[in-house]
Amino acid sequence: MLSIEGLNVAYGGLKALVDVSISVGEGKFVAIVGPNGAGKTTLFKAISGVVPPLAGRITFDGQDLLALPAARRAHLGIAHVPEGRQVFKTLTVLENLEMGAVPERGRAEWARNLEQIFTLFPVLNERRDQPAGTLSGGEQQMLAIGRGLASSPRLLMLDEPSMGLAPVLADQIFGRIEEIHRQAGVTVLLVEQRVAEALGSCDYGYVLESGRLVLEGRHETLLADERVKRAYLGM
Amino acid sequence: MNDFAVVLENVLQVLTAGLLVGSIYALMCVGLGLIFGVMRVINFAQGEFLMLGMYATLYAFTGLNLGVMLGSYIGPIVGALIAGVVLYFAGLLMHRYLLTRVTGIRVVGSEGEGHYPQLILTLGVSLILANAGLIFFGSMPQTVRTPLSTTAWEIGPFIGDHVSVFLNKARSVAFLVSVAIAVALYRFIGRTRIGKTLRAAADNPEAATYMGIDVDRAHSIAFALGCAITAVAGGLVATYYPFQPYVGLDFVIIMYAGVVLGGMGSIVGAFWGGLTIGLVQQLSTLVLPVQLQNAAIFVVFLLIVLIRPEGLLGRNVERT
Amino acid sequence: MSGLRHGWGKPLAGIAAFAAAYLVVGLLVQNQYYQLMLTLVLVWAVMGLSWNVFSGYSGLISFGHASFFGLGAYTVTLLLVKFDITPWIGIPIGMVVGVIAGVVIGYPTFRLRGHYFALAMLAYPLALLYIFEWLGYQEVSLPMKREAPAAFMQFADHRVYVALALGLLVLAMLASLWVERSRFGLSLNALKQNEAAAEAAGIDTLAWKLKAIMISGAMAAAAGGFYAVVLLIVTPVTVFGMLTSAQALIVTLFGGVATLWGPVIGSLILIPLAEILHAELGHRIPGIQGVVFGLAIVLVMVLAPEGVLPRIRDRLARRSKPLAAAPQVDGPVAIAAAARRAPAGEVLLRVSNLSRAFGGLRAVQDVSFEVRKGEVLGIIGPNGAGKTTLFNLLNGFIRPDAGEVTFEGERLLGLKPNRICRLGIGRTFQIMRPFPRMTVLDNVLVGAFVSERDDDRAVAAARQALARVGLAARADSLASSLTTVELREMELARALASRPKVALLDETLAGLGSQEIDRLLATINSLASEGLTIVIIEHTMQAMVRLADRFVVLDHGAVLARGKPDEVTRDPKVIEAYLGKKWMANAQH
Repeated sequence: MLSIEGLNVAYGGLKALVDVSISVGEGKFVAIVGPNGAGKTTLFKAISGVVPPLAGRITFDGQDLLALPAARRAHLGIAHVPEGRQVFKTLTVLENLEMGAVPERGRAEWARNLEQIFTLFPVLNERRDQPAGTLSGGEQQMLAIGRGLASSPRLLMLDEPSMGLAPVLADQIFGRIEEIHRQAGVTVLLVEQRVAEALGSCDYGYVLESGRLVLEGRHETLLADERVKRAYLGM
Repeated sequence: MNDFAVVLENVLQVLTAGLLVGSIYALMCVGLGLIFGVMRVINFAQGEFLMLGMYATLYAFTGLNLGVMLGSYIGPIVGALIAGVVLYFAGLLMHRYLLTRVTGIRVVGSEGEGHYPQLILTLGVSLILANAGLIFFGSMPQTVRTPLSTTAWEIGPFIGDHVSVFLNKARSVAFLVSVAIAVALYRFIGRTRIGKTLRAAADNPEAATYMGIDVDRAHSIAFALGCAITAVAGGLVATYYPFQPYVGLDFVIIMYAGVVLGGMGSIVGAFWGGLTIGLVQQLSTLVLPVQLQNAAIFVVFLLIVLIRPEGLLGRNVERT
Repeated sequence: MSGLRHGWGKPLAGIAAFAAAYLVVGLLVQNQYYQLMLTLVLVWAVMGLSWNVFSGYSGLISFGHASFFGLGAYTVTLLLVKFDITPWIGIPIGMVVGVIAGVVIGYPTFRLRGHYFALAMLAYPLALLYIFEWLGYQEVSLPMKREAPAAFMQFADHRVYVALALGLLVLAMLASLWVERSRFGLSLNALKQNEAAAEAAGIDTLAWKLKAIMISGAMAAAAGGFYAVVLLIVTPVTVFGMLTSAQALIVTLFGGVATLWGPVIGSLILIPLAEILHAELGHRIPGIQGVVFGLAIVLVMVLAPEGVLPRIRDRLARRSKPLAAAPQVDGPVAIAAAARRAPAGEVLLRVSNLSRAFGGLRAVQDVSFEVRKGEVLGIIGPNGAGKTTLFNLLNGFIRPDAGEVTFEGERLLGLKPNRICRLGIGRTFQIMRPFPRMTVLDNVLVGAFVSERDDDRAVAAARQALARVGLAARADSLASSLTTVELREMELARALASRPKVALLDETLAGLGSQEIDRLLATINSLASEGLTIVIIEHTMQAMVRLADRFVVLDHGAVLARGKPDEVTRDPKVIEAYLGKKWMANAQH
C-alpha cells in the first residue's frame, strides 16, 4: 500500500534520512523503532509532505505522493497522529474530532466513526465539550488517535504514541491500537522508541539509526537480535 | 446644583459617545485581530483597507442611490456591506499574490526573523493605497451624508429639565450594526466548519495540514475576511466622520492599540480592546485639548506595549 | 563582507572618488532646482545610512527613524528662532538630542520582540507629530539672517549646500565603515543572525543595540537638522511623518541592507525619480511620490529582499567561476583517540537540586551532579528527558524554579548568558546558525571578542581556535561552502575562541555519518586531552560510549543513573528507560 524507495531527506543542513526504503502492505502492522534522532519523525513528515525530500520516491496505492501537496494527502486516506499529540488546544474535544473528519470519507461516515471512537475511548465522550488543552497527556493521546480515526483512514500512522506517558497508560494505548488494527483492518505504521511493545504487535519491523535502516525483519527475528540493543545503547 | 448637572451631563455624554464610537473601533479591531490571530501577520495596510471601505461605501451609496431606495437607516448599512464584499476580494488578491511570497516556508531561507518582510511589504502596500487614493479620489473630505449624520435622539432629561444624553442617530445605527456583525463573526468562527478550520489552522498549522486542511487557503480567507470587516467598519464610520485618502493613518494606531490591549491573538480581546480605546478617547476630550487627544492614544498604546504586551485578555504570543 | 583584517584602503578610495565626482557635478550644475535635488539626495542618503547602521546591521527593523530626524530638525530650527543660535552649533546639539532620544527610546523598547518592537517604533514619531502640533509648531520658518548669512549657514549660492551635504555624507559613510569593519559590526551581525548564540558567545547584546541606536540617532538628527537649514521651513508632518521613516527604509532596502553603498545608491536612484515625478506630475497626480516609494518597497520585498545591489552582485558572482572546493583535509592527526587523559581534577561546575517546570510539565526535577576539571561528562537519556532544558539552565537562558549552579565557587543564578560566557563557560547549539556570507574566520571571531580586547589579538585567538579543530586551512572560505561536519567544527571553534574552561556541547554529532562522527570525535578527544572540560549532550550512543568518561542519565527530567559507560549501559533501569519495560522483561529470560 505504501512504498518508500531510496528516501533522502536533509533538515537544516543535517542528513536526517539516507537511502531509506520501507514497504507497508495493505492491512499489515508495520513498526519502525530506533533511538532518538534516528529520523523517525522526519520520515513521517516526509510522507505527510511537510518536509520535502532531496531524493527518492513515495507511492501510496501506486499514486506518487510527492506530486501531491501536503494538504491533499490526508484526503487519500492517510491519517497522521503526530509526535507529541499536537491536539488543537484551543478547540474542544469534539471540535478536534470534527477536524479529523475533514476528508470526504470521514465526513460521510462521521456518525459511525464517532460512536466507535467513543467506545474505544469513553473519556473523550465525557469531556467532549472541554478544550483539548485541559486534558491530561494520556487523554490527549487518545484524542489524537481518535482524530486520526475520524477520517476513516486506510493508513494510520502513529508517531511515538507512548511518549511522556506512564507505562500503564502506554500499555493501554498500545492495546487500543492493536484493537483498531484487528477490528477495523486498518493498516498501521507505528513509530516507537519502546522496542518490545512496538515489535511485539507488529507483522514486520524496521530499525532506524542515525537516518539509516540498520535492520529489518519479522518481529520474532528482531526481538532476539542483539543489534537492536546496540543501536540504542551503543554497546 | 447647576454645576453638578453640567458635569454629570458631560460625563454621561462622553460615556455614551465612548460606547458608540468604541463599538465601531471594536469592529475595526476585530478585523485586524482576526488577521493576526489566524496568521500572525501584522498588516500595516489595514488603515488603508478602512479608507477604501469608506470610499467604496460612498460610491455604492451615491452610485446606487441607496439613500433613496432604502432610506437613511438601511441605505448606508447596505453600502457598507457592499464595500465589505468588494474589499473581501481585494484582500484575497493581496494575500494570494503578495503576502504568500513573504510568509511561509519560502521565508525561512532568508536571514533574520520571518515577520519583517511582511511588515515592510504591507507598509509598501499602505503607501501605494493611500497615495493612489489621493490620485483617484482627490483630497476633499467626504462623508456619506444622510439626515441621520446630524440629528440625534434625546434620552432624558433625568434631573428636572436638565441632564439629557444625546445620541447621534448615525452613530447609534452604526453601533447596532457593529455589535451585530461582531456577534455574527463570533458565531461564524465558533460554530461553522470553516470557522473551526480557521481556528485549527491558527492553533497548530502543522497538525492542521496533517488533517488535510489547506492552511494557505485558510490564511487567505482569514485575511480577506479581516479586511472586509475593517472595511465595513470604515463604511459605518463614514456616516459621521469626514474622510480623505490619508484617513487610514488616523485609525491605524487606534486599531493596533485596541488589538494589543485586548491581547494579540484573541478576537474577543480585540473587540473589548477597541471598545476601551474608544472610551479612553472620548474621556480624554474632558481633560485634554484637541491636538493632544490623538497623542493620548499613542501614549496609551506605548504604555501597553511597554508594560504589558500580552494585553488584558490575550496569550503571550511574543516570539523570541 | 566584513572583517577586522580587511584594509580600509579600498572603501576610503571609493568614498573619496565618489565625493570628488559628485562635487564636480555639483559645481557644474547651474539650475537651482537641480542643485536642491543634489542636496536632497545626499540628505536622504545620510538618513538611509543612519537607518542602516541600526536596523540594517542589527536586524531590528525600525519604522520610526523619523523621530530622530524630526527632533534634529526642530532642535536646529527652534534654537535659531528662539535663541539665535547658529545651525553650525545647532546641528551638533541636534545630534546630541538624537543620541539621548536613542537611549530613551531604545532602552524600554529593546525588551520587546519582533512585531511589538516594530509597532512601538512606529508609534514614537507619530506621537511626537501630534505633540509638536499641539505645542503650536505647525509651521516654523527659519528666519533670514541678512547681517551674517554664512555664520548662520545661509548661502545664496546653493552649491555651498551641496558641498556641505557632501561633507555630511562623507562623515556618515566613515561612521558606517567604522561600525561595519570593527567588532561593532561583527557583534551586531552576530546578534542579527542568532541573538541567543551571540549572547552565549559572550556578546552583551543590549549594550551593542544601545550603542547602535545612539549613533544612528545622531546621524538621523544631523540629516534632519541640515534638511531644515536647506528647506528653511519645518512642519510636523514633513519631518515626523510616515513618509520620512519610510524613505529611510526604502532607500536602504532598495540599494542593499547592511552594505556601505546601499543607502547611497538607493538614494541616488529613488530620490531624483520621486522628485521629478512629483515636479512633473505632482499637480495632476498628487501622491505620485508615495505610490512610487510604495511600489519600490513592494517590488524589492517580492523580487530582491536583500536589495538590488546584493542581487546584482550575486548574479555576477554566479557567472564567474565558483570557489574551488577546498581539498578534503583529513581531520587532526589521530593522536587523540588513544591519548590517556589526566585523571579528573577538582570540581569546576556544581549543579545542586536544579528544578524547572513549564506549566504542568516538570522538565528538570531536582538534578544534581558535578563536573570535574579535565573530564568529559556525557548527559544522556531518552527523548524528552530534559537535557537541552538543563543546558539552557546552566547557560543562563532560563532561570530555575529551585536549585543552584556554581562555577568555580561563584553562583551563576540570575547572570545573563554573555556574563556566564565571560566567566568561562562556552556553548554550542543544536541548530547551527553560521553566518553564510562571512568567512569562517569572521564567524569564529565573534567568540574571541570575549577574551581579547585588542582586535589583532582577537584575530589570533580565532585562528588558534580554528587550528585546534583542524579548520585552519578553511579560515578564509565563505561559511556557505562548508560541509556539515566542517560547520560543526566551526561551531566548536567559535565556542573555543572565548578560551572557555568548560565547553557545553549540545548534540554536536547529530545527523552525521559514521565517518564524519569519527572525525569529529577525534577532534573532541584531542581537545579533551589538551585539558578542556567538556559536558556533552548526545543521542548517538555509539559515539558517546567512546568519548565520555562518565555519564549522567536523565529520564523525565530526573537523574536516573550515573557512572562509567559500561556500568550505565548495563544498568537495568537505563535499559528499561531506553528500550521499554517489555524488553527488559524479555531480556531477563
